[in-house]
Amino acid sequence: MNALTQPTGAHALDLSMPLQARALQLRYGKHEVLRDVSLQLPRGQVLGLIGRNGAGKSTLIGCLLGLLQPQSGQAMVMGAPALDMDDARKMRVAYVPQQPQSFAWMKIEQLFAYLGQLYPSWDRSYADTLLKRWELDPGRSIAKLSPGQAQRLALIRALAPRPALLVLDEPASALDPIARRELMRDIIEQAIDNEATVLFSSHIISDLERVASHVALLHRGGIMLNQPLDELKERIVRLLLPAVVAESLPPCLPGELLRRQLNDGTLSLLIDKQNLPGELLLIDGLRVDHMGLEDLFIEIAE
Amino acid sequence: MTNFKCIDVLIHMDAKALHIAPQAAEPIYRQIAEQLRRMISAGQLPAGTLLPSVREVASAHAINPMTVSRAYSQLETEGLLERLRGKGMAVASRHSGGDSLDQRLLQADPLLQELARHCMQLELPTDRVLSRLRQLLEKEPT
Repeated sequence: MNALTQPTGAHALDLSMPLQARALQLRYGKHEVLRDVSLQLPRGQVLGLIGRNGAGKSTLIGCLLGLLQPQSGQAMVMGAPALDMDDARKMRVAYVPQQPQSFAWMKIEQLFAYLGQLYPSWDRSYADTLLKRWELDPGRSIAKLSPGQAQRLALIRALAPRPALLVLDEPASALDPIARRELMRDIIEQAIDNEATVLFSSHIISDLERVASHVALLHRGGIMLNQPLDELKERIVRLLLPAVVAESLPPCLPGELLRRQLNDGTLSLLIDKQNLPGELLLIDGLRVDHMGLEDLFIEIAE
Repeated sequence: MTNFKCIDVLIHMDAKALHIAPQAAEPIYRQIAEQLRRMISAGQLPAGTLLPSVREVASAHAINPMTVSRAYSQLETEGLLERLRGKGMAVASRHSGGDSLDQRLLQADPLLQELARHCMQLELPTDRVLSRLRQLLEKEPT
């Protein structure tokens, strides 16, 4: 094997836990972006990160990959501090930022020849397949690509080395529905074939609901709802309680996420069904709504 | 008719035959399990039919493989599917002819109950609901 795949630093290469963060805090001046964020991405997990614009998703991703230094807390990539990654780790991480760095002076084929030299794991035939499928001409100069094409190129650059950890920040914003579906399929195939671990942020929640095994909501500097997506959909419900009952309810129920009084006095409760007191379900006039991820997100973050 | 030697003709179900609604409140594994249950029960998927592999389903619909394998395991536990060595998941043999009429009716019952509840809330006359339902069931043009 290549020397690059051997552990070089003091930290053994831990592929079972590609990404891990403990108590990350980051402020810009007085603005607290990350209050206390802890996350774990074991191998093979596909985590979809959602949150409003400005919630700090890109900042969090920057901290997780060691591109930004938090004021406190620590991020670890494959067992080593993210701020101090060695080449063996960097070679296994692929990251597509919102504004991909361009190599504007090159043609696509020149860039790929260079990357093929750089990455021992660069899969040339896979890169060619993706270029063909996404209709990019290898002879095209990178400076002349449209935003959608530039995004596709950045994605191919990320996928072709078959990374162990794939981090995508809003990867689909400039893609049409068909290209998006293809990208989701490629992400899934990476997860299956290479056991790749994936973190991706997106506002296109239906994409995320397809491919994610887990979701996390970044809201007010903290992580909410971090759990398997299937479990989330089964367990988190919205209860609508008639006004007469609302008054006699204890101030906070086990598993309660959010409580809101509607204009007509009805109480809307977002709650984990698992811990629900049984007598609550017997209330006359109670309504139980199961929710899709988008509704859940809006209910919490609005 | 001459004596035909019985050969195993393997029918492969196409992954695209499943319909996935990622935005639904119902988790994807439940959507898959529910559809397969219905198809097996109605005899659309006879015993021995090979299901698409987890990878095929995940890739065809761009969905997470874990939710697919969860659906399969659940149906395996229920005895509707069985794992054939080297071939993958298949519809279990004891379900050859599909379920009896009563069993299938029982499966539709929760939906029928919900339908009835909705119609009562809307105060719809029974005969109008029934005639519309008959129309739908017999696929008459509306």
